[in-house]
Amino acid sequence: MNMRATGDLDQIDDLDWSVRTAVYSFITEQMRPPTVDEAAALLGVPRERAALAFQRLNQRHALFLEPGTLTIRMAHPFSGIPTPFTVQVNGRAYFANCAWDMLGIPAALHADAEIEAHYADAANTAVTLTVRDGEVHGHDEVVHFPLPFQRWYDDLVRT
Amino acid sequence: MLFRSEEEINAWCERTGQPRGETLTLAQTWELAQRWYHDRLRPDFRGRTPDEAQRIFQQLGLTSPAWSLKPADESSCR
Repeated sequence: MNMRATGDLDQIDDLDWSVRTAVYSFITEQMRPPTVDEAAALLGVPRERAALAFQRLNQRHALFLEPGTLTIRMAHPFSGIPTPFTVQVNGRAYFANCAWDMLGIPAALHADAEIEAHYADAANTAVTLTVRDGEVHGHDEVVHFPLPFQRWYDDLVRT
Repeated sequence: MLFRSEEEINAWCERTGQPRGETLTLAQTWELAQRWYHDRLRPDFRGRTPDEAQRIFQQLGLTSPAWSLKPADESSCR
């Protein structure tokens, strides 16, 4: 991957934000993040420009790339890889990054959802939760946030 | 991380050596998710400033140091 000078990555412009919008639109339709080539095609820009946008957005934590690549790992609340949290909304199935994001997906989409989640201490135990008419329905589960908010970006995968 | 109870969180932390952090109920987490993500898909979304994030936490009664965005030494003086 061609890494730009740090100064370039610290800048951001309307086109970069348009790439962000396109990424999220793609995810909601296709249930996965676009590749950089797909993003370039959507915006009608050269691949290199889309790649720069990915890197700038990553720099600002607007999305998160796999280190050293142009592959989108997270565009919160959506995960780019399979996780223990599958969220079904309007006939589509998404992966959420965590227990917070499994509720973040219906919140972002303003829609009801059926969620299949796994407990952290019992990975083989699946549970179904629902969001319906603005309310969440579960089984008295609790959500644990192991790190203080200040440290969430230290290691977002672990958080 | 999703658990069935506070007791199971405690047991998991003891077993794994992971730190014991903050816990929210499912309803609290849903409320937080709505306030945090309701505008995420808007084309004009530009992220949240620390003050905006702090306000969201405070509105939900999340005021412990774990939810503070101030440096640890500053918050401990309060």
